[in-house]
Amino acid sequence: MFENINYAINILLLIPFAASLVIWFAARGNNRVILYTLHLIATVATSVVGLECVTHVASGNSFMSLNDFILFDSISGIFVLAISVIGLLVNLYSIKYISWELDKGEITFSDARLFFTLSHVFVFTMLLSVLSNNIILMWVAIEATTLSSVFIVSLYKNKKAVEGGWKYVIICSIGLAFALYGTVLMYSSAYHIIGNAHEAMLWTSLLAHSVEFDADLMKIIFVFIVIGYGTKAGLAPMHTWLPDAHAEGPAPASALLSAVLLKCAMAGIIRFYVAMNSIAEVAQFMQNIMLIVGLVSIILASLFIIRQRDIKRTFAYHSVENIGIIAVAMAFGGKTGFFAMFFHILTHSVTKALAFCTTGNLQRIYGTRNTSGMGGLIRIAPVTAVLLAIAMFSLAGMPPLAMFTSEFYTVVAGIEGEHYLAVALFILGLAVVFYGLVHHFNDIVFGKVRGQIIHNGDVGIGANLPLIAMALIICVIGIAPPEWFLELLKSAAAVVVNSR
Amino acid sequence: MEFGLIVGLSFVMAIMSFWAIEERNLVRATHIYTLQTLTLVGIFLAIAWEYSIGTLYIWAGTAFLTKVLLVPFLILMLIKKIEIKHEEAPFGGLFHPFIIIGMSLSVAILLEPIFIRFSLLKLQIPIIVSIFVFMLGILGLVFRKSAVKQILAYCLFENGAHLTLAVTAYNAPETIEIGILTDAIFSVIIMGALAMRFFNHFGSLDTSQANELKG
Repeated sequence: MFENINYAINILLLIPFAASLVIWFAARGNNRVILYTLHLIATVATSVVGLECVTHVASGNSFMSLNDFILFDSISGIFVLAISVIGLLVNLYSIKYISWELDKGEITFSDARLFFTLSHVFVFTMLLSVLSNNIILMWVAIEATTLSSVFIVSLYKNKKAVEGGWKYVIICSIGLAFALYGTVLMYSSAYHIIGNAHEAMLWTSLLAHSVEFDADLMKIIFVFIVIGYGTKAGLAPMHTWLPDAHAEGPAPASALLSAVLLKCAMAGIIRFYVAMNSIAEVAQFMQNIMLIVGLVSIILASLFIIRQRDIKRTFAYHSVENIGIIAVAMAFGGKTGFFAMFFHILTHSVTKALAFCTTGNLQRIYGTRNTSGMGGLIRIAPVTAVLLAIAMFSLAGMPPLAMFTSEFYTVVAGIEGEHYLAVALFILGLAVVFYGLVHHFNDIVFGKVRGQIIHNGDVGIGANLPLIAMALIICVIGIAPPEWFLELLKSAAAVVVNSR
Repeated sequence: MEFGLIVGLSFVMAIMSFWAIEERNLVRATHIYTLQTLTLVGIFLAIAWEYSIGTLYIWAGTAFLTKVLLVPFLILMLIKKIEIKHEEAPFGGLFHPFIIIGMSLSVAILLEPIFIRFSLLKLQIPIIVSIFVFMLGILGLVFRKSAVKQILAYCLFENGAHLTLAVTAYNAPETIEIGILTDAIFSVIIMGALAMRFFNHFGSLDTSQANELKG
């Protein structure tokens, strides 16, 4: 579609930014049709251009634009793919979800307009964060993702939503302050070596000079970065904002937060990891750090998953667990480990998007998020029950669904690297999660209804169609992933492996 | 003489930062924060003059407009709307000032040798003060219960980071400084709007009352 990839990248950034302004100023006067149409056009356009861009980097090419401020390589391609596909499907679902909330009187039209406006600002900031070749611009963009999403999280006007929003903004601000310090330190040390202010801020230059960096300083910077971006990504023990923010926001917002936003913060950690990976001593240190925080995240989250009754909090703790899995895959390293890491980023994105969107259906059917008020879903809404089954069993790591494959590769990477104890703890954590999920699944899908039924029946094809698409993606990636998809994963993994 | 001025202003900034955190009257705390930021602007000007760094004059100008004029105005507007003038007692009780000074100073002294190795300007005291102010802000966010005080704490650590950036990496492209400043202003606006919502739902600015979400 685009002859010039640089042009396409600029358009990709421009569409959501312009869309947010157009929606804010044009969608007025309680006109839902205009609001939904503008949102739909912008969503589809962003996704089409995003996917077009991804095709250019699947085989390992990389491009720079806007005075080298933007880097589009296969690593960015992974995240742009997630934003394009998940963004499209979640935003399609959000039209139905928001219209239910408007009908129920839970939100006003101006809330809906704010939601759609901020959704596009949010997509713009996420795209900017993963496309940035400049270390400080990346920080600015990740900080901006918090600011653009906080009112999406606290869209509902109740105490819990405000509490969730406040915790989100305060805890992430504290975390990102550490990331800023790490970033400034990185720039200072790079300038010391490179001697050019512009170059010292670019990932591409940092990578070229990485062997010259001071090992001790790099270790300190990495600790700052893990605290900073790790807070935003939801790595334990800095994850405390995550269950509250994910649970209290509207279902599509939770889906975007969990499926894409957390990964954008992980992209920050991955970029620093790549830039510092060439010093053997630092590489070992980073692997140890990621292994510890990864395993702590998995085990801590698995314990919380068992005792949860709120389905959205359950899925939120799953996000902590899965960010932990990504960290462990990174720690195991090697071709298989990094391949598994990028694979899991994508499989978790699509699975968690489906899981959170399905909670929107559950809330519509039962009027509650509490699983003790649910039951008998298979008889009330069989399509939603099947969608929930695919989401939950993929989350549980059941073959042949998508997340089984990425978790399997993580285990293989651990065995290849002879991390036997870590692999044992990893599998133990996954087993606890499996038990917890099956338990919750039984409570929701089978047996008698223990609470009220607000909406008897499925929610309609309009709402379910994007979810069915997500479920199909989960099955296809798990059973027969397309060649271009595997090629993209291998190219991204090669960028990390070759940085050594 | 100019070097003495930089060090002197740095000490004033450190004292102002601690005072802004400890002052219980929210309006007074905001005014003290304004003076603290004015001191930061003074440090930028002093460094710019002493080391002939043109960029820092621009930094001083933008910091004056955004942080001395705009941010305190927004915070004072919030306090006026809410009509709560005093903050609640912080976590840590009597030991609170000793905890935050002790921790902030320890971290600053610990990190200064690392920062100065790669700093563009080898200014030991301003670097220590910048990390000290940053840590005061972070601990302020953790220990203070008042939403307005948490916003002020955010502004403090942002000022600390700004001073670190000026000393260690003043030659960073202007777009970067603009990006960080824009983020800071939007943060204050968004936190302010959220604090208003908080007050409307909880009837207070005491964030420790927000404890419905657990487990």
